[in-house]
Amino acid sequence: MPVYRYILRRLALTIPLLFGITLMAFIISHTVPADPVTANLGQKAMSDPAIVAAFRAEWGLDKPLPQQYLIYLSNLLRGDLGRSIKSRRPVLEDLRAFLPATMELATASIVFGAALGLILGLASALWRNSWLDHGVRVFSLFGVSVPVFWLALLALFFFYARLGWAVGPGRLDVGLEPPPPVTGLLTVDAFLARDWAVLRNALAHLLLPAVVLGAYTTGLITRVTRSAMLEVLSQDYIRTARAKGLPTRTTLTRHALRNALIPVVTVIGFSYGNLLAGTVLIENIFAWPGIGQYAYRASTSLDFPAIMGVSMVIALIFIVTNLVVDVLYFVLDPRLRAS
Amino acid sequence: MSSPSLALPQGPEPILRPQPGRWAILGRFLQQNPLATLGVILFTAWILISLLAPFIAPYAPLEQDIVNRLQGPSERHWFGTDQLGRDVFSRVLYGGRLSLPAGVMVVIVAGIIGTAVGALAGFVGGWFDELAMRATEVFLAFPTIILAMAVAAALGPSLVNAIVAMVVVWWPNYARVVRSLVLGVKSQEFVEAARALGVPDGRILWRTVLPNCLAPAVVLATIDLGNAILVFAGLSFLGLGPEPSTPEWGRMVADGIAYFDQWWMAAFPGLAIFTVVIAFNFLGDGIRDALDPRLRK
Repeated sequence: MPVYRYILRRLALTIPLLFGITLMAFIISHTVPADPVTANLGQKAMSDPAIVAAFRAEWGLDKPLPQQYLIYLSNLLRGDLGRSIKSRRPVLEDLRAFLPATMELATASIVFGAALGLILGLASALWRNSWLDHGVRVFSLFGVSVPVFWLALLALFFFYARLGWAVGPGRLDVGLEPPPPVTGLLTVDAFLARDWAVLRNALAHLLLPAVVLGAYTTGLITRVTRSAMLEVLSQDYIRTARAKGLPTRTTLTRHALRNALIPVVTVIGFSYGNLLAGTVLIENIFAWPGIGQYAYRASTSLDFPAIMGVSMVIALIFIVTNLVVDVLYFVLDPRLRAS
Repeated sequence: MSSPSLALPQGPEPILRPQPGRWAILGRFLQQNPLATLGVILFTAWILISLLAPFIAPYAPLEQDIVNRLQGPSERHWFGTDQLGRDVFSRVLYGGRLSLPAGVMVVIVAGIIGTAVGALAGFVGGWFDELAMRATEVFLAFPTIILAMAVAAALGPSLVNAIVAMVVVWWPNYARVVRSLVLGVKSQEFVEAARALGVPDGRILWRTVLPNCLAPAVVLATIDLGNAILVFAGLSFLGLGPEPSTPEWGRMVADGIAYFDQWWMAAFPGLAIFTVVIAFNFLGDGIRDALDPRLRK
């Protein structure tokens, strides 16, 4: 099957999924005990019957549920995710303001987690049952067991407050002027503005939160890489490669690694969405102005429209990354193309 | 069976070897997996601590002592005191009484729902299978913590609602696993034999197919417990779990953020979460190794 046909087929499969997600968001926000009117309007607005009536009309809350869903859907398609109770602004506007910081953090995390996880997983598989392997396995189990919000506090306490090795919370030092916004990603914007001091500082601020957030992913990728590599190394074609006298190096890189990478790529793609979600648990601690902190504040103050907005956006990114990964997978694995 | 022609052919005498008992198998498993042993020890310790908390905790978990608030670890308060002068050590000991049952509840209820849906989908097939699997895909399209957060927020923050929210998020995993197990078992000869004998479908599913899928599902649930406890702590950290004063680990860590310099307030409850979760992961890792012959040493 040619790649474009595969992409088209996967896209076609994504459409019902998108409907499913909106339906789920609709059910959660409309049929649960929390009344969407009280959830969306503040105390003041609630006491004004005109506002309540206008809100009901806008979201069609007086109509039967299926019709409400259609109205909800058409509001969504116009980018109307409702209004945040806390910020009093449209949720979409808030998300647009907060998303770049989170994307920057999650991307730094996935780069760190994938690089370290691959190296550790490969070393662990190649020197199987050595002390290195045992050490790596324990380390990877630590990674998938540690509560990330706790690790964030500990890291900040030791590396910033006590040892002074890391810079403090936030995206930049207080005195620094942020670069003119182009992408919203400080590192990229600083690079575009050729502002090396800001770039260095932004990277320094990324380091600690990215490593902390990436702990789970690092552990996961290490484990998947190790088991994928062990699985591949036990295959007949590796024995054949060795038997015909290929240098170990060539066998490992050309035959083993390429095949072992396939499941790893899936996990990396799937992890990106989880990293975006994981920011909910740490951004508040690192004073990182992203959707994670936005969602954290929303959840502690029960700002329901904001929570739903964040969930929808993260689910969307999750689906898109999985789509991209599936296509990559298809390109990487000739066996899939043949069938 | 009276007809001699239907008698089973007599094979060679079975070799009589004493079958190792359950405990012997368990003993050998633990011996070969030091990490799994450590996991079992940690896990057992936490169960004992949770059961005995009222007897071994030096203070009541809600007992306030404002004069001695925010004290560092000392002989009187091993883990220090919090912003209301409550003993952190006692609160940590009590925390297991919430987190462990919460995790177990989530896994059991989600396991039952997931098994029911997955088994029916795999066994019946057709449009029900299609519908059920598309539904699980929608659930799995949300990252766990985000969907749990949305559901918990919609239901309102409380211990029970946090568990309900997690069940809503958790069952699709089990549905998918059990479905694929059922599909595997369904095509086996003994199922065909039962069908040929005229056993009704419901009975085949209940008596023949399901028992053969249960063991892997239970193993999965055990391994999954650590994860459930971790996510529960996360929800609680977000303020979507039990009410503020409850001695719950995630909540206690959240309280500690505001008292950054009083590191003991967050450090010890977090350590409790970590040790419980890693106990299950050590154990799960050992089980996975033991079950996968390719990875056997």
